[in-house]
Amino acid sequence: MTNSKGYADRNQYGKDSCLHEAVFFSQNEEEEGLNVKQEAVAGTIGQPIAPAQPRIQISYMRFLYVNKNAKWAMLILLPILLLAFLAPALPLQAPLESNIRASLNAPSLEHPFGTDKLGRDVLSRTLSGIKVSLFVGFSVALIALAFGIVLGTVSGFFGKTTDRMIMGVVDIFLAFPSLLLAIGLVAILGAGTVPVICAIALSDVPRFIRLQRSLVLSLKSRTYIDAARTVQAPQIWLMAKHIVPNTIAPLLVAASIASANAILIEASLSFLGLGILPPEPSLGNIIKDGQMYLQQAWWISTLPGAVILLIAISLHFLSDGIREELDPRARK
Amino acid sequence: MDKGAAAGTIDRNADIPGSANQPLLQVRDLHTHFFTESGIVKAVNGVSFEIQRGERLAIVGESGSGKSAMAMSLIQLIAYPGKLVSGSVRLDGKELVGLSEAELNKLRGSAIGTVFQDPMTSLDPVMTIEEQMVLPIRKHLKLGSKEARKHALGLLNQVGIPDADKRISSYPFEMSGGMRQRVMIAMALSCKPKLILADEPTTALDVTIQAQIVELLKTLTETTGSAMMFITHDLGLVARFAQKVAVMYAGKIVEYGTVDEIFNSPRHPYTQSLLKTIPSVSGEKRVRLLQIQGFPPDMKLPIIGCSYKERCPAASERCNNDSPELMPRQGRQLAACWLKNGLMTEGYESITTQLSRGELNALTKQERVNTADAAGVITTERSALPVGANEGDATRINAFVADDANIVLQITDLHKHFKKTSMLPWKKDSEIRAVNGISFKLRRGETIGIVGESGCGKSTTARMLLKLDEPTGGRIELNGNIQIVFQDPYSSFNPKMKIAEIISEPLDVRKIGTKEEKQLIVRELIQKVGLDPSYLERYPSQLSGGQRQRIGVARALALNPTVVVADEPTSALDVSVRAQIINLLCDLKEELKLSFVFISHDLSTVRYISDKIAVMYLGEIVEYGAAEEIFVNPAHPYTKALLAAVPVPDPKIEASRSIELLKGELPSPAAPPAGCAFSSRCPQVTVLCTERKPALQEYLERREVACHAVS
Repeated sequence: MTNSKGYADRNQYGKDSCLHEAVFFSQNEEEEGLNVKQEAVAGTIGQPIAPAQPRIQISYMRFLYVNKNAKWAMLILLPILLLAFLAPALPLQAPLESNIRASLNAPSLEHPFGTDKLGRDVLSRTLSGIKVSLFVGFSVALIALAFGIVLGTVSGFFGKTTDRMIMGVVDIFLAFPSLLLAIGLVAILGAGTVPVICAIALSDVPRFIRLQRSLVLSLKSRTYIDAARTVQAPQIWLMAKHIVPNTIAPLLVAASIASANAILIEASLSFLGLGILPPEPSLGNIIKDGQMYLQQAWWISTLPGAVILLIAISLHFLSDGIREELDPRARK
Repeated sequence: MDKGAAAGTIDRNADIPGSANQPLLQVRDLHTHFFTESGIVKAVNGVSFEIQRGERLAIVGESGSGKSAMAMSLIQLIAYPGKLVSGSVRLDGKELVGLSEAELNKLRGSAIGTVFQDPMTSLDPVMTIEEQMVLPIRKHLKLGSKEARKHALGLLNQVGIPDADKRISSYPFEMSGGMRQRVMIAMALSCKPKLILADEPTTALDVTIQAQIVELLKTLTETTGSAMMFITHDLGLVARFAQKVAVMYAGKIVEYGTVDEIFNSPRHPYTQSLLKTIPSVSGEKRVRLLQIQGFPPDMKLPIIGCSYKERCPAASERCNNDSPELMPRQGRQLAACWLKNGLMTEGYESITTQLSRGELNALTKQERVNTADAAGVITTERSALPVGANEGDATRINAFVADDANIVLQITDLHKHFKKTSMLPWKKDSEIRAVNGISFKLRRGETIGIVGESGCGKSTTARMLLKLDEPTGGRIELNGNIQIVFQDPYSSFNPKMKIAEIISEPLDVRKIGTKEEKQLIVRELIQKVGLDPSYLERYPSQLSGGQRQRIGVARALALNPTVVVADEPTSALDVSVRAQIINLLCDLKEELKLSFVFISHDLSTVRYISDKIAVMYLGEIVEYGAAEEIFVNPAHPYTKALLAAVPVPDPKIEASRSIELLKGELPSPAAPPAGCAFSSRCPQVTVLCTERKPALQEYLERREVACHAVS
């Protein structure tokens, strides 16, 4: 029944293939429609009312308990977050405190992740780096969401010249590989947390604008928009009441992927010496520190690397979980 | 359900005289369940029937009654998570249940052909017709590629595709809906099947095209000797097309018989009621339509007793405990009801007379009047509120008073031309005249029906009336406020908004009333459309199609409109729900003195509800006048053809009708024929018609017709 529609949608979003999760959203409503067909026929006055069917909606507690992907994501992410924020309270050496005599120590009870060249505790630095990395990841996602929603909605809703201008700029930015764009921007702005966030967000914002625009285009012709137009609802009303609320869900999926991506790019930038400046630890620059000692001290690069991997994986699990929750058919 | 009872059915069927020859298809106690997360849906729950060679059987039922699941079970193509649980399907004596996938694949497409509802989804959009047709022919008939192509061409000719040798290399998107459905039929026929399964094959098509396709299927089954199982919810089509009818309800066949038996002497209360929910085709008009109350049972729960008992006015104690099986009545008719003649059984006549007079609804109607009175009070209160909508209308009202105080809507020479500018400077801009100079007047409390094929400009007219599109010419003069009820109750509500928010949205936008006043108005509105206020806290996805359409009506009423445009308000609904919505609109028309612009291709509904009718063809009105006159005595050849194309739910009328089919399809509005727009399809076309365009002229006092042949 939804076949033809699904096909068309897929074509439409084809260009934003990196974010094609969005495809599922527009079929969702129809799916809901099918679910209630059983109910049929009206409950006229004086008639018993059919029992309410459970609405397909993200109920957060249920989401975390029932959704397998989300559960895995939280099983990994929560302990990491907990450790990162409780780090100062743990019996660990401070991240910046060095002890030359204990340099390049292998992992032990005292230093579970070992120590680096300057004798700093790698676990303590990693935990501190996680905070920086997650901050970068979530900031980038938030910035991308904010710009994406505003510009994408405006572009898709008004169309014509507005759309052409915004899309022109977006296409120019999309033509650059995101890492190169970030490197270029950091070279101009200088290294540090804020420039890194700006640099990464700059490459994500155009993607979000495109995604939001394509969602808006498919929503724009919905009958309920026409219904609101017939009572002369102002444009801002249509966008705020009818369009944006219906695009939030697929955007969240994209945002969780974007934050994982941002963490990886931040690590790459730091690794290249363009990211967070030492001595402040970030997962990337810890790995860079260890690069020279890979032969003698594998733990300096490998263990923070594993943490990046875990965070990225769990964020992807999370996005899968959100997607499944929005599209009941994706559930096995 | 009950094995013993089902076995009984088998025996009885075997006893029926005349079935000594082995039937083509024998289905016995078929059960198909859908194993969903929230429980097992017993979509097909013990179905047994037979199809003889060359016989056309129609399966009728509401959506959710298991018709499609049953058809798909026969060829074992059930969508996940459905599964054929038990039963037997014998084709030509050969058991199909339990065959391997490979053996089934051989049967599908060769012995059994299928035609689905939407040809666009069943044809592969990236393959040409030839590629899609030739492969199965080569595989099943073991022909070489050249012979297979020849065979395919022959089939396309047979199903009436002009220029078949050119059309065969086109892609599905290059063809019209009717052509695609013809291709689907050609494909279904390609391997000379013994049985064709058609699942709502004409639902997605226009009436005139539907008539062509039905006629085609009829002649094809007669010439090829294929039997056909035809799923539909259109009782008119059944009367026109089928020989036998099986009525399904809640996963079971509740009544089975020949077309005449089912239409003339239905025995099951469900069939009896169903036939009364459709507007009658002739005789007295405006008899309140029967509404089947209540809901079909939840197929996840076990059904104890008769599945129809909750909705049946004649249900007794026995119905609560014992489930009636199909039992023989007169002739070959079978019905699953304890009463011999359903609602017509002796001792139940009171119900029957009540039913025919619609008195069973008296209670609900009384309640409606009460709410209407209450609403009247509110309405006067509301008119004291500042209503922004009526600003600026004052001048228009003055303009009207001179003419006719009762006219609420007047459109004069309305045009909507869509221009398509080409990028190439030497190419001329093409222009599509979607609406090309139409005029009509609507008085208070009057309903005008606009009918015509899709693409005739009905919906564009509606959009202009609602100011969703700007007209390119002409005037719309409106006294008061205009609102719309949309066709599709599924897409016309924001899924993220509660019903209360949806109904009050017009008030919110116009900033009418305080929060408390708005709540009060919303409660009044939802009661006015016959729903319980507890629905206000729900989301649209929690309502059924009919309930949603009621909400659509409530939303349209929120701003106290004088005119309501209803754009195909019932075409997305089930037959039994249609009657409810039509009754609701009729009630509102009386209570609130509303004027309706009723757009539909369902002519019997239009006839039922309209006072005036405008027949549109290619953006122009070709006939305009009093509804009853046009239906009884159509003047324009197009109106005649349109009326002939609509199947009537009465097999006697259908059998006696000589159906004059319209040739061809609607011409492209970008290149309409010269002279009269209808000249390319008109059976009475003359040279004059292709040269001069006929103007809309007075005809028989109360009508206007645009045709050279009529004067």
